[in-house]
Amino acid sequence: MGKKEEPKEPKKQSEVSKAAKGFFYGMALHGMVTYALRLRMHMENLFMLITMGDMLGIPVLPPYYSLRLLPYAVPSLKTWKQTLLRDRDITDSLY
Amino acid sequence: MSAAVSPGMAEYFASNPDLRYILFGGKGGLGKTTLSAATAHWLARRGKRVCVFSTDPQASLSDIFERKIFGQGEVELASNLFAVEIDADRRIAEYQEEIRNKIKDMYKMETIPEEVEDYINSSAAEPAMAESATFDAMVELMTAGKFDYYVFDMMPHGHAIRFLGMADILDQWVEKIVTVRKKAGEYGEAATVMGNKGSLVQEDLVLKELEYIRGRLDFVSTMVRDRKHTAFFYVLVPELMPILDTRKALEMFREFNVTVSGVVVNQVYPKELKDQTDVPGFLKNKISSQQEYVHQIQNEFGGLIRGIVPMLDREPKGLQMISKVADILYGA
Repeated sequence: MGKKEEPKEPKKQSEVSKAAKGFFYGMALHGMVTYALRLRMHMENLFMLITMGDMLGIPVLPPYYSLRLLPYAVPSLKTWKQTLLRDRDITDSLY
Repeated sequence: MSAAVSPGMAEYFASNPDLRYILFGGKGGLGKTTLSAATAHWLARRGKRVCVFSTDPQASLSDIFERKIFGQGEVELASNLFAVEIDADRRIAEYQEEIRNKIKDMYKMETIPEEVEDYINSSAAEPAMAESATFDAMVELMTAGKFDYYVFDMMPHGHAIRFLGMADILDQWVEKIVTVRKKAGEYGEAATVMGNKGSLVQEDLVLKELEYIRGRLDFVSTMVRDRKHTAFFYVLVPELMPILDTRKALEMFREFNVTVSGVVVNQVYPKELKDQTDVPGFLKNKISSQQEYVHQIQNEFGGLIRGIVPMLDREPKGLQMISKVADILYGA
């Protein structure tokens, strides 16, 4: 959010407009943005499951092709596994 | 020595002038490789640029042509005649290395995270991996389009069917994945527009990869069903199991909408031997039993029989013998 969008304006004003923008964003858009991001997360998880499923023992796409997609999945691997295996993580930690 | 055979191999080629892809399937050890080699030899002799390719993990083009072909790329055996035998293990290893480098490049990493490395390594152990690698090599060869004809010595039928089935199922999967990916992208975009959050840098790249995968699969499933450009021959010998196998295969191919262009009966003992006095009873029995099965094959697959190839007195090895088999199968 806090990115300057009107570079021509003097710096003093930008503080005010930033605050106003933040206020407006919080009132009107924040909920929608969070909702969109959450939906995206679910879609992302689904995508990870059908492509990298065999990491969790659910073979879906033959590994030859999932390997092609692996590089793009690297940043989300950890969070995805944690999301899907949350319950098991707790029991695991008991042992 | 070909008996009363409905349109033989040569006639089939003559009446289908647009053929480019010739596939030979059948149980292991019945002579698919020999017949593929003979077909390639015959086509090359007629001035066509031909590549014969083995998709069988126990590929034996090297043995048949008595040349080191395995893992050597396109090996020229005679004028216009080339052969390729894929070293699936090496191809997989190279592919894995490519993926590792890509990850290192993309994220400026020195070493691959352990779980990612584990995944890359374990993927090589999957039995489907070798099949997929061969499959991929096959598509690569065909799309390069350097030859007039491509003759494929297919893996034994169980695998071949999986091979075809895989293309269809994967195609549907990729379709779904693309949908999910596009939706994820839309939501991400909405979030970005509204709140400057999330990044879409990799979105297009992932979709591009998915499209690439789908393109490869589509190519094969279209190719095997395209009767204008593709001929699919099934090889059998006059014995009970191969007959049952062929019956089952034809049914399964029908389910996948793949039409078999014909069957070739291989390794048939010359029946004249039965009337010779110096032939031992053991062999005579074998010949009688084969003749019964030949009749059964004629009854069951009659119109599909494209050739009957006799058992030769020597193993069909080397260009000279392959040429002899080609003469028998296609007429000199």
